[in-house]
Amino acid sequence: MNAAATAAKVDYNAMDDEAFRREARAFFENEYPENLRFLPRRLSWVESKPWWLSLSKKGWLAPNWPVEHGGMGLEPGKLIIYWEETERAGIGRMPDQGVTMVGPTLIRFGNEAQRAQYLPKILSGDNVWCQGYSEPNAGSDLASLRTEAVLDGDHYVINGSKIWTSMAHHATNIYVLVRTDKAVKQQRGISFLLVDMKTPGITFRTIRNIAGHEEFCQVFFDNVCTHKDNLVGKLNEGWTIAKGLLTFERLNIGSPRRPLQAFEQLDTLARAQKLFDDPGFVDRYTQLKMDLNDLGSLYQRYVDKARRSEALGPDISMLKVFAMDTYQKLAELLLEAGAEYGAYADEVMLADEKIDLMTPFYTSRPGTIYGGSNEIQRNILSKYVLQLPN
Amino acid sequence: MAQADLNEHRSMLSNSVTNFARGVDLARVRKLRDTNAECDRAVWTQMAELGWLGVLAPEACGGMGLKLGDMAIVAQGLARALVPEPLTAAAVLAARVLADSNNDTLKSKLLEGLVSGEMLPAVAWQEEAGSLDVNNINVQATPAGDGFRVNGSKRFIMGATSAEGFIVSAKSAHGMQLLWIPRDTAGATVQFDRLADNRQAATLTLANVSVPKTHIINSGDIAAGSLARAIDHASAIIGAELCGIMSRSLEITLEYLKTRVQFGKAIGSFQALQHRAVDLYIQQELSSAVLGDCLAVLDGEPDAKTRSAAASRIKARCADAALLITRQSIQMHGAIGYTEDCDVGLYVKRAMTLAAWLGNGHTHRRRYAKTEILEGAL
Ligand SMILES: Cc1cc2nc3c(=O)[nH]c(=O)nc-3n(C[C@H](O)[C@H](O)[C@H](O)COP(=O)(O)OP(=O)(O)OC[C@H]3O[C@@H](n4cnc5c(N)ncnc54)[C@H](O)[C@@H]3O)c2cc1C
Repeated sequence: MNAAATAAKVDYNAMDDEAFRREARAFFENEYPENLRFLPRRLSWVESKPWWLSLSKKGWLAPNWPVEHGGMGLEPGKLIIYWEETERAGIGRMPDQGVTMVGPTLIRFGNEAQRAQYLPKILSGDNVWCQGYSEPNAGSDLASLRTEAVLDGDHYVINGSKIWTSMAHHATNIYVLVRTDKAVKQQRGISFLLVDMKTPGITFRTIRNIAGHEEFCQVFFDNVCTHKDNLVGKLNEGWTIAKGLLTFERLNIGSPRRPLQAFEQLDTLARAQKLFDDPGFVDRYTQLKMDLNDLGSLYQRYVDKARRSEALGPDISMLKVFAMDTYQKLAELLLEAGAEYGAYADEVMLADEKIDLMTPFYTSRPGTIYGGSNEIQRNILSKYVLQLPN
Repeated sequence: MAQADLNEHRSMLSNSVTNFARGVDLARVRKLRDTNAECDRAVWTQMAELGWLGVLAPEACGGMGLKLGDMAIVAQGLARALVPEPLTAAAVLAARVLADSNNDTLKSKLLEGLVSGEMLPAVAWQEEAGSLDVNNINVQATPAGDGFRVNGSKRFIMGATSAEGFIVSAKSAHGMQLLWIPRDTAGATVQFDRLADNRQAATLTLANVSVPKTHIINSGDIAAGSLARAIDHASAIIGAELCGIMSRSLEITLEYLKTRVQFGKAIGSFQALQHRAVDLYIQQELSSAVLGDCLAVLDGEPDAKTRSAAASRIKARCADAALLITRQSIQMHGAIGYTEDCDVGLYVKRAMTLAAWLGNGHTHRRRYAKTEILEGAL
């Protein structure tokens, strides 16, 4: 039987919050692979696939998609519970661009044929998507992107290159922002295209991140043809599409549970090394613990807003700024509290406990860079919220 | 030495370091990830020939008998180029302990060997993380034959990958013993842990290791005092290395701020980044001011309390400033700063290793509070 059809029988939104939470908790606790819990890094596609398929089978892969497209159709309140339980169970971040970005984009801006072609393959795990936005010379200033697409008969011909494309080496498909009109204001000449990674003319090189892992790629487009049916929305509307997506998904990045894994390492370290005997440590530990609690309060304010289906404005940028700064401080305290062990590159055994001091440090760094750097978020806050003169 | 001579001399030292650093290839530092070759003995010999391993060693042992202020110039310059060889571990920490020895035969063998680059000794004193107290140890030396039998283990030993042996501190009925234990001694095993910058920290385990009388470097209060002074001096020179790390990292970043264009302008034209860069620059200048000031105090050979306070001031400021500057260097580079290919990453990693070695900022502030603030307040 079709998985989506099974899921459609249950109206999760009609369920009592606590009942839904119990079901989510039981499912995540029983079914998620034990060895992949609370990993301080993202999951590779190979690691993800079994869990991807279990979720898919239960109809739980795409909590944010409408039921008719094979999602759970959760309203904000329920979706937040779903996320909370995901984090509570220590479920890793999968190469989830298909679910988080492509699905919602096609549902909102795509056409029937595109939805029929792509959505089922995301749910089945046959298509793994990556995001081709950034370019070597277009990072924070994304609108200046130069990879271009020219319509030639039935195909768009793409030339240029994308960079920092996470997991592109494991992806089957890429969605790209391309320049389709050079004559107009930058934002007005950008389109949103879907491309098969196997198309002739696509090559990529993997890039090692600072921790030595192959996490992202540079993707090159040399006369790459994609059928004109792969244009999402109208020509030159790509910017609106890209920006329109980042609505309340952005709540997720401000979740106070994200740094909890690092906090657990800190607790273990503190007990193993008897750090609670040091008032200086206790002071800094408590400060971060309370910062995290306070982040929780700020987060809750936005959660409540989302539950009331109110629009989330530019002020939500503050959640990302404070969440990511706090996460980095926590990872830094972990290294400092480790004293000499704080320079150990690999796990250490202390009082019979394995502690990984270094990974949270590396994991916490890019959060202030991608998805709009903390500097850019502060610019948004000062311009649109405080309305300071430009 | 007269002031003019001293200045002349230091600028020569500085020039030789700069020339050497110019030839350093960072590819080798990157490759350390896959090798254990942090100490290339050919490079080490070259460093010996340039006199750097003997800056502090007395002239009688082939050294130059100069001051920490001179050593700092060499350490800072080599750190800027990320030279991985264990300069401070050997030419400061080990050299200081050996210079105090009154076992002349052993001293001339080890110290002359160290200065000439032929013999690399590594100091193995620490057992507990976050401790700077030389007496906080459990390795035991019990009398056996004309010397000792030694048991226990030492951690966080730097410069050990190609060391010929260890200078080990141990407790005995007659106070501390500083003992020379060659690497291949029966009962001695060495195990390595990779550090952030891909150099290695060694753990030395000693099981009934026999040490003859001829391998005693120093004993009792003299041993403990000598080791404590060597650790303070090494902490200060690590501060100089951290200054080299932070200044190069900031330099690379300032260059990037001037050349990287977003929104049609160099990103260095955005005031948010300008102010950040200025704050980092202030930290760099504070670090070098503290370093200069406190090295002069240390070179005046003050009492132990003053000495430790000066060393802690250096290490606390330089460690925290280097960590801050290198981390912000990543941030100001954006995604490219988060790649293995970007040089700032190498500086972040070296800063982490140096900051943690011989007491990080927190450990040094805690020690400073104990002797300079809390005791005075009683
Ligand atoms: C781990 C990781 C994964 C990523 N994955 C993807 C992906 O899958 N797909 C994708 O398309 N992209 C991805 N990115 C790229 C990411 O979106 C960009 O890094 C981000 O947009 C910043 O651009 P940049 O790196 O070019 O930095 P730049 O824009 O060059 O910024 C450099 C520095 O200048 C600052 N700055 C820039 N403009 C201003 C300003 N006006 N005022 C103040 N400060 C400013 C920035 O904050 C930063 O500190 C990823 C990045 C990372 C680190």
